[in-house]
Amino acid sequence: MALDAHRIPEEPYYRPVAGEVALFEAAYAARMPMMLKGPTGCGKTRFIEHMAWRLGRPLVTVACHEDMTASDLVGRFLLDPGGTVWHDGPLTQAVRHGAICYLDEIVEARQDTTVVIHPLTDARRILPLEKRNELVQAHPDFQLVISYNPGYQSVLKDLKESTKQRFAAIEFGYPDAAVEAEIVAHESGVAAGTAALLVRIAASSRNLKGHGLQEGVSTRMLIHAGRLAAQGIALETACRIALVLPITDDADVRDAFSAAVSAAIA
Amino acid sequence: MPDDQSRQFPAGQIPADTAFSSVERRLVAYLVALWRLRVPIRHARPDAAGNPPRRVSLSDGLIWMPGSFRGVDGRRSGALFRAALVHAGAHLRFTGPRFPAAGLKPLQLALVSLIEDARVEQLAMREHPGLLRVWRSFHVAGPDGAGTAPALMARLARALIDPDYRDDDAWVAKGRRLFFEAEGEWDSPALSRRIGGLLGNDLGQMRVQFNSKDYVVEPAYRDDNLGLWDHGEAPPTPPSDAETVFEAFRTEQQERDHGRPDEQLGEGATPARLSATDVPARAVGEEEITAPPWHYPEWDYRVGIDRPDWVVLNERRTELGDPADIARIVERHRTTADRLTALVRSAKVSRPVRLRRRPEGDRMDLDACIDAMVSHRRGEAPDPRVHEVLVRRNRDLSVLLLLDVSASTGDPVAGGGRSVLSVEREAATLFAQALDGLGDPFAIHAFRSNGRRDVSYYRIKGFQQPYDDAARARLAGLKAGLSTRLGTALRHAGRLLDRQATHRRLLLVVTDGEPSDIDVADRRYLLDDARRAVLGLAARGIDCFVIGLDPQGREYLTRMFGARNVMVIDRAEKLPEVLPTFYLRLST
Repeated sequence: MALDAHRIPEEPYYRPVAGEVALFEAAYAARMPMMLKGPTGCGKTRFIEHMAWRLGRPLVTVACHEDMTASDLVGRFLLDPGGTVWHDGPLTQAVRHGAICYLDEIVEARQDTTVVIHPLTDARRILPLEKRNELVQAHPDFQLVISYNPGYQSVLKDLKESTKQRFAAIEFGYPDAAVEAEIVAHESGVAAGTAALLVRIAASSRNLKGHGLQEGVSTRMLIHAGRLAAQGIALETACRIALVLPITDDADVRDAFSAAVSAAIA
Repeated sequence: MPDDQSRQFPAGQIPADTAFSSVERRLVAYLVALWRLRVPIRHARPDAAGNPPRRVSLSDGLIWMPGSFRGVDGRRSGALFRAALVHAGAHLRFTGPRFPAAGLKPLQLALVSLIEDARVEQLAMREHPGLLRVWRSFHVAGPDGAGTAPALMARLARALIDPDYRDDDAWVAKGRRLFFEAEGEWDSPALSRRIGGLLGNDLGQMRVQFNSKDYVVEPAYRDDNLGLWDHGEAPPTPPSDAETVFEAFRTEQQERDHGRPDEQLGEGATPARLSATDVPARAVGEEEITAPPWHYPEWDYRVGIDRPDWVVLNERRTELGDPADIARIVERHRTTADRLTALVRSAKVSRPVRLRRRPEGDRMDLDACIDAMVSHRRGEAPDPRVHEVLVRRNRDLSVLLLLDVSASTGDPVAGGGRSVLSVEREAATLFAQALDGLGDPFAIHAFRSNGRRDVSYYRIKGFQQPYDDAARARLAGLKAGLSTRLGTALRHAGRLLDRQATHRRLLLVVTDGEPSDIDVADRRYLLDDARRAVLGLAARGIDCFVIGLDPQGREYLTRMFGARNVMVIDRAEKLPEVLPTFYLRLST
């Protein structure tokens, strides 16, 4: 069957925080287009993988970027020795075969590109392929999911009002300290105490958000630091290379954050 | 330690110390990271006798930081500033309301302060155990020290923070025991009062020397603890008042230096003037004229003609204010300013744009190639434009911000004590801050009018001038007064903007009411004239936008500027945030 490569064979680890699994299941039952909002590295992509596994659907992920055109999503004619052949884009594949299509960081794409999803996200559930003169009815299992990071995009990049209003949204944030420590411990293999310490360090970087940092340290970065620590790297060094150095090039903020890291470590 | 530094540099001439200012930004960020504390830090100035301050001081929510610490070698001073700032932060985080000082002897005051210092440090170390390393190295008192009160107190201070320190003195040991036995009560400031009081009595009975006048808190990173105590004098003043008082004091000193009599000082809040301005203050609208008068036509809708040379416009010099006021505005709106900096940074990079279907270029346009091949197979002539190019779109625009400073801007904004003008000033500050970072040429001008023979126009910052202290002083010195003859001001602004050689030219007007003047009774007259002026600007390729601070103003602003070019803000206080973002949105 098509899209077998997009099936998720094993359960991806996901620690539910606030009933989002049940919410998403309900939304999927209604095939409602969903928007996952939240800062980078807080588990949006992992969540959708987990849900695709749980619902038994293939997952087609598209990382959106500024140069993406509508044909990159929908498909285009290619040449072969016999003439031109139509080649379905990832969105069309998902629509035909009933996958969950996940458009990651949709605001990165230009607004005229994102308009192609409009007919899929209302009662019509169709995808017109004007170049082929074809109207694709969405497979009953098809669902569209987008992710969206409200903090990081600026006034210069935003979803059109008419796009936004087609979705229901689930908001993600960094989980509570205890839960986040549990996640870090599970994913990186460090002891619970170390994980809790890493989460405390993350809190000080999140204090710096808006005061020199665009965004605090994400759960994903903590897992990186934890993985290094689990291999025997000293915790302060692990924090330096996995947290402090990547997050900023501003020497003063970097100094402040490293000092906060060493203040947290006894 | 001889007092070399103060002898070398008499009062007021201590060189701007680079030591603290060079680490200030990172240390401020450090406090934010630890506790989300964003405290204004001021550079402490010498006291009345000209002695530089020796310790950090906390008062009214401000941290007063000495420019340098005497007797500390340069390599350590960075660490000392860090230790001092974190200690101050620990006080702000954990010390409660001030202790009443009534009935306590100086020695008791000093000891309660010492215990309080140790208490807040212990609490801070519960959250951030690594802070021990920040503070411990400054505790150098040893068990072999002299038996004087300051020496014993320095030893006690060390005993309370350094777990490895050994001291056999009975008093130090008692202090240590009392403090650590009460670990469960560390959360309560009353503990410091109790233990400090007990130890103070003991030390008093030991009859050791204590001279409160000479006493300086040890180690050097700890603050003078004056902020801990309520001496029952004047009620604590809010920070803004404290600053005004301080500024007034500084003015007084400066004026004396100039040999002026003190009588010149008005009551309290006379803003400090730049020494360059020895111009006497003039009434609003009668400031010194800087250029020959300009004559402008005015549109009379009743007869349908431009009355030639009808209005006289004078460019005038603004009164100067204190540029520090502007710095304070940036400090107060720190969050907005930071957000704007981030926005500006992303707007600044010229963004790559892909141009498709070009006759030549650095790569193939896949879609165009396929179309070409399709046409080829069909036997048509293929379109040869099959390349694509990546070009960077550069910013090329200049903007003039025109502020209305008529009498109505002196009124308080709805539901707030500040005047419309001060809100405009804040907005202009953040705007200038953002634009200065962006690199777009910009100017800030202001206008008011007093009949058709006298429209005043002020250049606060011209296109060619840098945004420096002089420009900030002019911005700080703006006052409200007289009327709003908008059309003439628009024409003059347009003339200045016209000289800019950029691709786009933008005129942003901020106003709080509809045009009016003393010699015009017909409401429609000035409205139609302004509309005429806007049309004239549009014809010359100048885009004109207005931000209205009058919630009921949409109708007349639309009439003058056109519906697409009007933004009305329902709450004037939002202007400082709105103005720069509005500009960024317009300009990208």
